[in-house]
Amino acid sequence: MWSSTTTTTPNRSAGRAAFLLLAATGLVSTSFAQTVEMRPPTAAIAGQPNAIQTSGSGEATFYLLGPAHTSKQLVNLGHEIQLPADQLRAAGRYLAILCSSACQSASFFVTAASPASLSFLVHPSRVPVKQENAISGVAFPFDKFSNLVLSPVTVDFQLKLSGGDSLSRPTPTQHGVAWFRAYSGNHAGAAQLVASLGDLSVRRVVQQVASDPCNLRIRAQRTAKGILVETEPVRDCSGNPVPDGTIVTFTETGPGGKSTVDMPIKLGVARVELLASAPAVISVASGVVMGNELRLGAQ
Amino acid sequence: MTRHVLAPGTMVMLALLSLFLLSFRAGAADFSPASTPQIEINPVNSGPRAMEALTQQNVVRHYGRAWQSLADAFDRNTLVSLNDYFVGAAKDQLTGTVKEQQRTGIHSRYLDQRHMVDVVFYAPEGDVVMLHDTVQCDLEVYDGDKSIHTEPAVLHYVVLMTPGADRWVIRQLQAVPQF
Amino acid sequence: MKFLMPIVIFIVTAILIALGTAGATRLGATTGITSGSALPGLSSSARTPEEAVGKLLNEIQKRNWAVAYGQLADNSNVDLDLFTRDLTGTNGSLRTLSGLESWELQPLHATNQEAQIRTTLRWSTAVGPIRDVRDLNVVRQGDVWKVVWPVPKFPNLPAQIVPVTYLRWDLVTPNGEGVWGDRAVDAPHVRIVSMNAVPYQNGSVVMGEVVNEDTIPAFVNVNASLIDRGGKSMAEESSFDKISHVLLPKQVSPYRIDFPDVSFQDVKNVRMDVKATLVPASADPVIGIMNQQIESDSDGRNVLRGNLMNESGQAVNIPHVIATFYDSNGRVIWVSDGYVDRPLLPQLPEPFAVELPGPIVGKVKNYHVVVNYYNNSKS
Repeated sequence: MWSSTTTTTPNRSAGRAAFLLLAATGLVSTSFAQTVEMRPPTAAIAGQPNAIQTSGSGEATFYLLGPAHTSKQLVNLGHEIQLPADQLRAAGRYLAILCSSACQSASFFVTAASPASLSFLVHPSRVPVKQENAISGVAFPFDKFSNLVLSPVTVDFQLKLSGGDSLSRPTPTQHGVAWFRAYSGNHAGAAQLVASLGDLSVRRVVQQVASDPCNLRIRAQRTAKGILVETEPVRDCSGNPVPDGTIVTFTETGPGGKSTVDMPIKLGVARVELLASAPAVISVASGVVMGNELRLGAQ
Repeated sequence: MTRHVLAPGTMVMLALLSLFLLSFRAGAADFSPASTPQIEINPVNSGPRAMEALTQQNVVRHYGRAWQSLADAFDRNTLVSLNDYFVGAAKDQLTGTVKEQQRTGIHSRYLDQRHMVDVVFYAPEGDVVMLHDTVQCDLEVYDGDKSIHTEPAVLHYVVLMTPGADRWVIRQLQAVPQF
Repeated sequence: MKFLMPIVIFIVTAILIALGTAGATRLGATTGITSGSALPGLSSSARTPEEAVGKLLNEIQKRNWAVAYGQLADNSNVDLDLFTRDLTGTNGSLRTLSGLESWELQPLHATNQEAQIRTTLRWSTAVGPIRDVRDLNVVRQGDVWKVVWPVPKFPNLPAQIVPVTYLRWDLVTPNGEGVWGDRAVDAPHVRIVSMNAVPYQNGSVVMGEVVNEDTIPAFVNVNASLIDRGGKSMAEESSFDKISHVLLPKQVSPYRIDFPDVSFQDVKNVRMDVKATLVPASADPVIGIMNQQIESDSDGRNVLRGNLMNESGQAVNIPHVIATFYDSNGRVIWVSDGYVDRPLLPQLPEPFAVELPGPIVGKVKNYHVVVNYYNNSKS
């Protein structure tokens, strides 16, 4: 009967009675609301138990809604409502609701605990040598309940390149993230990256690989079957050998038409035997890099 | 005993009415209280990498769908809705909450969502983005059919999103008192 | 009430089934199918050269090899096994996955005793239609014309040991999601090096080249979206099979994306997207493309011909040739592709031909061919 709040009263005496009734209801409600109070925690840390103070008397239903938790229990008003640690693991906003004949609510926030792990993302997993700002890393500190630690902490990034170069860069987190960029070294090989925060340490490896082939050169010699064409050891401009399996395209153009073969590099060189009829022009390419041309005259 | 026989025209009308009611009921399942969230994104502060226009569109679209599925999951206490746009800690936490809501008979509604999203970090390789989201919505909590809490809420979230196979997904969704 | 909808659906379905089975069907005629019927083993005589070829092809289409073989002029030249293999294919080639769909006959010359018929066979294959042109000789024996089937030549593959020393890449995939950031191996880095959008036959074509700049193999797909003047996407397509999908390090592949229903005049911009994923791969087999030349074929069409040479020790079941044509500025002006319906046997050449459109021929200054392949057995 308390839910009927909208009334029209053409009769003055009836209206006066309704007004008195409503006022009485309001007074009762107000007096009930004043009796029940909730005082939520002000500085709750994830994974630490806490409590909510209540006033009033009697029984009520207590609801706690959090980012990873929902519970409902009967409580006695006027006592503390204990919030065990496992209910407060997730950082975020919690809503505490106390319902008797009416419901009251209060919200509070739980912040992340101290860092217990680091998520460290490094890219790329393979990088050509001698590239500016080629390697980047991003680190996020998390507490042991997988909450992002938003309070500033300092992450120390260390990079050890193959060939001996190393750098160290302490970086404070902003909005819970720290990041860095670095160049790739001159020499192919594994680059070690470490992100540290106190006792926490995470290691990643970036493979530095040779860049595009440089000074791609071929030589040829006649054989019984045709022409054996072979590259010189294929290296990039820093002298790093281009990995085996890299494709080198040999092209022979002669009176019989054009012939092409895509050959993978093996043990640093690529070679092919062409059934070429002289005269012929033989050229080589790898990716978008062109090599030299050989002109073979008529036999 | 009197036998009542319906006229053919009346039977046709009843058949049409029943078809209409059936389709109405089928469609009623779509009339969920979780309406489409409105998202406004501000990429001006994004760094160290500037967010491309196409990426902004995709992030907005997928973030909106994530919130829509979150609202659906919390209202109907269904876990299926969380599979598409949530991974990692965010998914674990939301799944735990929905399961406990199922157990306690509680469900909550996030209605009329309006999101003001600031891009505060976009990784150099574009593989993670951090958003600060100020959400205005009507938050309602029910125990069964009884409403136990209603508030016009303003919530602040720190969000981590990463690119999945064909969409951006939420990896971390953490509420804070302010930014 | 809740059963009303299922009952209505059931009744409507029953009515439709009744209509379908009771009504007469009309099937369109298929080109090359001779009308009428003949009992097996008893065929009416071919009174003309075209009729002889038609009857033979009719049996081939029905895969009645023995009946077809019985219609040949001189069986002693070709044995049944060779004849059948010539038509059904071998070694898991594309021909083994094909059926004769239709044919066209064009008499080249004829006398009272012999004739030559240009037969264009259209094979329906797993990857689309393939055209096969044969000039068949037909001779008259008494009152009946019969086809002289050319003796099929199957290469004699000598026994040999071919060592495989080329590199191979395997892909190890982790179990579960793991720690965030722990398991990442970046996708291969590929780059579109050229793109050219042109009008073609009332539609639009986007083509170019893509290179694998990484040190590991990549499975590559190129997509394109055509954008209109209002900035809206009109259509989005993929390169599908007009690309060599698996690219080894530093390997270049052409791509071609067709938009047959989008007029080029409506296109304001093209948005390209290349996707590359990690994939296990092998550098073997190496396939050489020999003696490439642009010529005209017997039908007067411009084709790029050559020979494929399989340098490895295993047969390649279904080779796929993709040719890139460049103008004098080095710009890609066309990409053609074609399947070879014979296998590539080790160390033995196999001819190929891909067609290029007439208007392009005069502009072609250079070309480059790559060979893709599909093998029935996994390596």
